[in-house]
Amino acid sequence: MAQEKTYIEDIERTLYDIKNVDKSKYKSQSGLTEDIIRDISARKNDPEWMLEFRLKSLEVYNQLSLPNWGPDLSELNMDEIVTYVQPDAKMTGSWDEVPEDIKDTFDRLGIPEAEQTSLAGVGAQYDSEVVYHSIQEDLVKQGVIYTDMETALHEHEEIVRDHFMKLVPPKDHKFAALHGAVWSGGSFVYVPEGVHVEIPLQSYFRLNAAGAGQFEHTLIIVEKNASLHFIEGCSAPKYNVTNLHAGCVELFVNDGARLRYSTIENWSRNMMNLNTKRAVVGKDGVIEWVSGSFGSHVSMLYPCSVLKGENAKCEFTGVTFASKGQNLDTGASVIHCAPHTSANISTRTISKAGGKATYRSAVKVTKNAPYAKCSVNCESLMLDDISRSDTLPTMDIEGDEADIGHEATIGRISDEAIFYLMSRGISEDEARSMIVRGFVEPIAKELPLEYAVEMNNLVNIELEGTMG
Amino acid sequence: MNKEIFSEIPMRTWNWLGVNEAVVDRDLLVESQNLDIKIEADHQEKMIVEYRKESYGIVNINIGENASLKLTQLQLMPQDCGHVNEINVVLEKKAKLQLVAVETGAKSFASKVNIILKGDKSQADVSLLYFGDGDRSLDMNYVLEFQGRKTVGNLEVYGGLMGASQKIFRGTLDFKQGSKQAKGYEKENVVVLSKGVRNRSVPIMLSGEDDVVGNHAVSSGKINEDKLHYLMSRGLSPAEARKLVLEAAFNPVLELIDDEALRQEIDSYIKERLENE
Amino acid sequence: MEKLLNIKNLQVTVADKEAEDTSKEILKGIDLQVNKGEIHVVLGPNGSGKSTLMNAIMGHPKYEIAGGSLEFEGEDLTELKTFERARKGIFLSFQTPEEIPGITVENMIRTAKQAVTGENIKVIKFRKELKAAMKELQMDESYAQRYMNVGFSGGEKKRNEILQMLMLQPKLALLDETDSGLDVDAIQIVSNGVKKFHNEDNACLIITHNTRILKQLNVDKVHVLMQGKIVAEGGPELIEKIDKEGFGFLQGAE
Repeated sequence: MAQEKTYIEDIERTLYDIKNVDKSKYKSQSGLTEDIIRDISARKNDPEWMLEFRLKSLEVYNQLSLPNWGPDLSELNMDEIVTYVQPDAKMTGSWDEVPEDIKDTFDRLGIPEAEQTSLAGVGAQYDSEVVYHSIQEDLVKQGVIYTDMETALHEHEEIVRDHFMKLVPPKDHKFAALHGAVWSGGSFVYVPEGVHVEIPLQSYFRLNAAGAGQFEHTLIIVEKNASLHFIEGCSAPKYNVTNLHAGCVELFVNDGARLRYSTIENWSRNMMNLNTKRAVVGKDGVIEWVSGSFGSHVSMLYPCSVLKGENAKCEFTGVTFASKGQNLDTGASVIHCAPHTSANISTRTISKAGGKATYRSAVKVTKNAPYAKCSVNCESLMLDDISRSDTLPTMDIEGDEADIGHEATIGRISDEAIFYLMSRGISEDEARSMIVRGFVEPIAKELPLEYAVEMNNLVNIELEGTMG
Repeated sequence: MNKEIFSEIPMRTWNWLGVNEAVVDRDLLVESQNLDIKIEADHQEKMIVEYRKESYGIVNINIGENASLKLTQLQLMPQDCGHVNEINVVLEKKAKLQLVAVETGAKSFASKVNIILKGDKSQADVSLLYFGDGDRSLDMNYVLEFQGRKTVGNLEVYGGLMGASQKIFRGTLDFKQGSKQAKGYEKENVVVLSKGVRNRSVPIMLSGEDDVVGNHAVSSGKINEDKLHYLMSRGLSPAEARKLVLEAAFNPVLELIDDEALRQEIDSYIKERLENE
Repeated sequence: MEKLLNIKNLQVTVADKEAEDTSKEILKGIDLQVNKGEIHVVLGPNGSGKSTLMNAIMGHPKYEIAGGSLEFEGEDLTELKTFERARKGIFLSFQTPEEIPGITVENMIRTAKQAVTGENIKVIKFRKELKAAMKELQMDESYAQRYMNVGFSGGEKKRNEILQMLMLQPKLALLDETDSGLDVDAIQIVSNGVKKFHNEDNACLIITHNTRILKQLNVDKVHVLMQGKIVAEGGPELIEKIDKEGFGFLQGAE
């Protein structure tokens, strides 16, 4: 029997590759100087302390060097990144007031439909400014604040000041410092004590102008015994010039509170996605991360959970799919610093067509964290022999009362499984597709339906060939 | 004291974890004793290497086609010395290596093992036992590299840590593109007996080939309470029960040591340490 | 009348595990015909090639057809891929069914039914049919939402195979040791399933070690396979003889 060559076609991207003509009314000069920072700060009407903060961050940025591990970032030239672009629209309260072409883009990407279903509010970001924000009335009555970062900075200055970049300080790494200097846009959510936000809050990002960077900041505070599910999803069109995303997400989960943070990252193929996400969890608190990484040219994403209070818990479920030309370096880390804390990390990675998927994790148990329990499970699926799948976990455990387990596997789709499905009349392509969808199912089932559907679409594979 | 990088993991990770490099006192690397061995095709050999005084030992081995070698390396240094050892092995087609390593001595030591499964169908079975107590520091870096087709690599590590000892174990399974139908397994079981211990593990799996099966697992915790309880209900004191359970944990490696006297020596050594805690 | 399954002088080889680039001959010239409405049984000691025969009919890529012919309803099967053969109406109940994590039983069977019939299957109607079939096989409804064979006992996996057979309604059912690993009650359920399935328009080719299940069915023909060749053929009485005397009396009957 003839053995045909096997190849896999890439993910359908036309829907996402819509470009608007660049009507941005303002573009900062390329390159990063103190003047540019002052300029941005002035246009935003920053309070004095924020300007100081930005300038200090710039200093730190200039002192730090790029990481000496992980993906190659040398093609990133900060001088060519236009850091701040303000789109042609003011902040609005209702969808109708949003300018047509911006609305059209979001329409095509399905945002209004999402709004119509069970979501409480939508914050949609377009080129560094939050264009549209809405929040349901009863959330406001409950005292829940859901607004953009700029508004929060002015209307809730104290809370923001107490929390802003305290979890991810600028000196953490070069891109945290960059973020501290040029951050713009993002969501601010505050859930008061005892309030349970029943419906997921959603935010959506968009990057349009060529060469623009995205530096939005998400700050979420969930007070004692409150709960929230926040969904972050993003998309951007394709360009020749490198696009940089150095966002920051800080999540404060107080005692007895619960926060679920779901993301599908689907940036376009020229994006450098260097996002820093961190959560701190108090006594009896729970943080749940659900994460799907699909897009970007290069990604470095390692949500970190600091379990600071007794009994704090972390659940992390993630999938990373690296295809042609992609280097997706993702993972998770957990730091146990109190007694009886626990964590479960479960990830899946897929690599094909020359893509490189790297899983990196750290589990650290300090002396102050007796009876820590942590279980890490990572499964990697490789779809051909020209891709790479690398797993680099680390455990650093102090004391004798920790119970830590780690397991990882690597392999391909089993021929026997394909034969089994084919013997039921399912074509080879569909069989492969089914198996890969089954592989990511543990993550899909944690996502709200429209995201699960989007994720399954992202996983659509076209295969031709035999099993040989 | 001047320090020098002795070994590195095949792929760097976060610097704050401090596991990218193994660093040793420069003095220890000054004079090395080299042992170059070639096992001729179709031959079967056994070798024992013992380290009992301050030294930097390098063992380079080439195992010829269809040949096999059982290498037992015992590091039983006095408790006040530093030590460094290194093993490099290349296996030809259908060659077999069985490596039994015991690292129980020295105040601080660093060891690295690099095994290249070059020839098709070559196989390496590695069993390592390490034990730390007092304020000793242990640093190990094992790499199994799969190059040939249908190669097999097994790495089983059993460790016991007490006192304020510090240990880093890095175990890498590296599947190179072309190592079709290779199979690699790695497992590390660590028993931690005291609060002052710092236990670091870095089980790495790298792959450029889809037609492989790779699996690694690490588990770290205290001695199984159920087992202790069972033994104590049969009249053993807590100390005696602990000794027995630990012995059982190390047995998979100890029983591979052919020389009875050596096995006893290691056994007593560990028992003595447990008593002195 | 055209035969449903027509195998003539079939030679099947498999790649040799030990010696690189050589193959071992497993089936050394098999003649076997199955007509509509019939139940055939293949008996033989371990290693005789029974599973190979099933896998070769189904088109497992591990097995090469070195000679002879394999036809289904007059059509040559050898160039068809596995899923194409399934769509022609052949079904294989596996000896060791695969686990497919993440895909539910219901989802998988519905996808298969769509593939095999080429029609759009309506969810509600399908669910009803699935429920009824599961009830018939005394399978708890909850199994429909469980991932394919994940965590299923041997018996549960075999029942899942028969469930698929009942839902896909093939023309030819190949049952590879469907009763092995089952207790007496389960064997009864499985054979009831086979009986319910079987009618004058379809056919079954059954491999089994254990002749208990055969006592429940009307077997038309028995083939005894030894060392890759059919050494004896007969009616149901052959089953009894082998039950009593084993395969010994056939040794040397090359």
